[in-house]
Amino acid sequence: MNRNAEASLLVGAALLASLGVAMVNFTLGRGFDAQVALTFLVWILSFGSVSFALRRWAPAASPYLLPLAAILAAIGFTEIYRLDAGLAAIQRWSLLLAGAMAVLVLFLLRGEGVRQLRRYRYLFLTVGVLLLLMPLLPDSFPIHGAEINGSRLWVRFQGLSFQPGELAKLFLALFLASYLADNHVAMSAHTRRVFGLGFPPLRHFGPIIIAGGVSFVVLVYQRDLGASLLLFALFVGMAYIATGRRSYLAAGGLFVAIGGVVAYQAFAHVQRRVGAWIRPFDDYSDTGYQIAQALFAMGSGSISGSGIGLGRPDLIPAAATDFIFAAVAEEMGFAGSVAVIAAYALLVAAGFGIALRTRDVFRKFLAASLTIVLGVQSLLILAGVLRLFPVTGITLPFMSYGGSSLLANMILVALLARISHTGRSV
Amino acid sequence: MNPPIRRLALLMFISFALLVAAATYQQLIAGPDYRDDPRNLRVAAARLGRERGTIITRDGAVVAESIQDPDDPTVFRRSYPYGKLYAHVVGYDSLLFGTTGLEASRSEDLTSERDATISGVLSALFGDDLRPKGLRLTIDNNLQQIAAAALGEQRGAVIAIDPATGAILALVSTPSFDPNTLIGPGAASAGQALDDDAATPLLNRATSQSYPPGSVFKIITLAAALQNGVANPATIFDDPTALDLPGSTAVIRNFSRNRCTAGESVSLEDAFIRSCNTIFAQLGIDVGPDALIGQAEDFGFNQDIPFELQTLASAVPPANTFEFNDAALAQTAIGQRDVQATPLQMLMAVAAIANGGEIMVPYVVEEVFTAEADVVSRTEPRVWLEAVGRPTADTVAALMERVVTSGTGRRAAVPNIRIAGKTGTAEVPGSSPHAWFLGFGPVAPNPGENQIAIVVLVESGGDIGESATGGALAAPIAQQVLAAFFGIPE
Repeated sequence: MNRNAEASLLVGAALLASLGVAMVNFTLGRGFDAQVALTFLVWILSFGSVSFALRRWAPAASPYLLPLAAILAAIGFTEIYRLDAGLAAIQRWSLLLAGAMAVLVLFLLRGEGVRQLRRYRYLFLTVGVLLLLMPLLPDSFPIHGAEINGSRLWVRFQGLSFQPGELAKLFLALFLASYLADNHVAMSAHTRRVFGLGFPPLRHFGPIIIAGGVSFVVLVYQRDLGASLLLFALFVGMAYIATGRRSYLAAGGLFVAIGGVVAYQAFAHVQRRVGAWIRPFDDYSDTGYQIAQALFAMGSGSISGSGIGLGRPDLIPAAATDFIFAAVAEEMGFAGSVAVIAAYALLVAAGFGIALRTRDVFRKFLAASLTIVLGVQSLLILAGVLRLFPVTGITLPFMSYGGSSLLANMILVALLARISHTGRSV
Repeated sequence: MNPPIRRLALLMFISFALLVAAATYQQLIAGPDYRDDPRNLRVAAARLGRERGTIITRDGAVVAESIQDPDDPTVFRRSYPYGKLYAHVVGYDSLLFGTTGLEASRSEDLTSERDATISGVLSALFGDDLRPKGLRLTIDNNLQQIAAAALGEQRGAVIAIDPATGAILALVSTPSFDPNTLIGPGAASAGQALDDDAATPLLNRATSQSYPPGSVFKIITLAAALQNGVANPATIFDDPTALDLPGSTAVIRNFSRNRCTAGESVSLEDAFIRSCNTIFAQLGIDVGPDALIGQAEDFGFNQDIPFELQTLASAVPPANTFEFNDAALAQTAIGQRDVQATPLQMLMAVAAIANGGEIMVPYVVEEVFTAEADVVSRTEPRVWLEAVGRPTADTVAALMERVVTSGTGRRAAVPNIRIAGKTGTAEVPGSSPHAWFLGFGPVAPNPGENQIAIVVLVESGGDIGESATGGALAAPIAQQVLAAFFGIPE
């Protein structure tokens, strides 16, 4: 029943993706070629096989997650194809690979579900931190880090490159859910009060200190403001969920405030980002250029957009990756913007709904932390593009071009779906 | 554990709502500013290569058109087949320099609405014609060419109008420029050269440059005297060799440096025909500042002329500045001192005399038509000002006719047509005088007969130099245009 509704929604998303390609072919005069059929086929193969795996191994899973992801991927893919047909071809392969990996994850978890993951806590922590730090590998190593656009987020191996940070978020979410499932009771106790807020013993601040430390390392050595903030939000948010103590939120907020001021004073790249955010047109030709181009694009889009293929999103730097939303906002207009924001809000709602309905503590925490990762990442980059917040340079889940991001987010959705299958059982 | 999850979820939903608010602001509220920002390349890119409407003259000559690129049928190139001739009317549509003239003021009509926005597609579905519209000008290509040829290389302006409707029949300003050079390769350097040119070819001398009117202003002084009953054509004035200006050591002399006529006295009619400064300076004092300045303002001075092309207001000083200063008033009455007039303003004045005292709103676009050549709108003639009553206008016209038959404007005469006119020679310190002629014909037209009013201005002596006068330099130029209008061969 659930799975049939999901399947028809997925066919709709596949039609949306191929319709997008057909419109680009029409407006840009690329001709009606195999791209349309190929795109339809890839959506059916990728999302269809995940849907099939759910039907087989998690038939009671939430039917909302996969179609929302498929629709967002279709909207993003239309703009990627519009910007660069070569990137779109790679993105299709990435989507197939991501679908296959999600199927593999569902297969591995077919019996016990995610419950079995609880015991590998420290393995996940180690793998997560190593993945995060991987881009720091010196250039002389066969697998080595690489710097792109001033941030060291990439790892190269034999001509292949990927962003390990995207996967690291999943491992850290797994660690956190498991750690908090065991320690949330102790962390909830408070022994002293500071400024009217209750605080637990200092040793229970461990996760927060780890979070701050990891975020700081990421910020300093990789110059990745986005990942740094995302990880910190995940750790603080989960500490709050696990304990219900607002003191964690207060401490986290204070840490961000102090850390933000220190980072602003200490790092030129943070100053540039903040300066470009507050006054993008003061340094129009340099630091403010990207956000200014995004504003020109979104403003030109107005209500209904320029029409797919009829705007100039190619003028926006990183239009296919971090700034894909600006390209959508230009060509699909305010209507398209609101649809995309609403889709993310629905995805987050579905994720939190799963967390709320799940009784088992570990799976509840895992659902919540995966949802926080997805939601905060979407919010950060959307707020950056819309000039509500400084640009943080992270990808927009499912929509941005990039294999690592697509892979990590497909697995994230597969994990959420698997949790929702056994939601109410203990 | 669920309440904190609910609170975090709420926090995130508030954040998503803020994103929608931000999108509303950036796309809908600030959006138009971003869209029109000069640094936004979309604006220029969208205009570049789009089809614009055709502009034709009254008699069907194409003066602006969009030509399809043979290699790429979606790209058009703007072309001005007559080059310099219509530059100050049609203007240009240039990627680098923007739009001017009718290309700017009629941009909405001339631009295609065909785009792929939802509203565009819907209109197309409902059968609206989204192709750009064309303009038919009031200008007559033949008159325009003759006016430009008559001016030749001299700096100046010729502007002609149908006084009964306000339709502009010719509008030439020299030197001019070729708008085709501001489009495509080499546009940047061509535009820079035009900007740097000391002869200011981009300046529309007919509408946007003012000059001392000199003796052509006397039609206004005469009208003020008649309208206020201060004098009539038969009124006799003393005819001194020079008029001593009260309260001043300055004197006013005639152009001839002598008396107006042979005798001791002269009628106002004879003084007008001979354009005597002494008599008109005295007449100005007799009329008084309020009546004289009021009359000038009734002719359109000190206000913006309602015209599609950019105009400069012409100026006379306020009446109260002449209190106890008859010397200034006397000089003003003969169009010197602080009086400044554009050729268009003097055209409004002579058109009022031709049209029984009423000034019509001038216009240059006769009609707007669709790509199917169906007329969408036609300009309806409207009255702008009531300058003088009909008796005054007819009297001034009769005196002006004598200027052409037996006065300073004889060289504007056209065989068998009753032409009225007035010459002006405005002294310019440090340069040869500006030569003016204004006139119209036929005087007292039969019903159904079309009139034409014309103003010619030649800057700084034109080709003649120091000896230039309105009668010698400007009147023959007007004569050529008038003869062409009445279909009389050279």
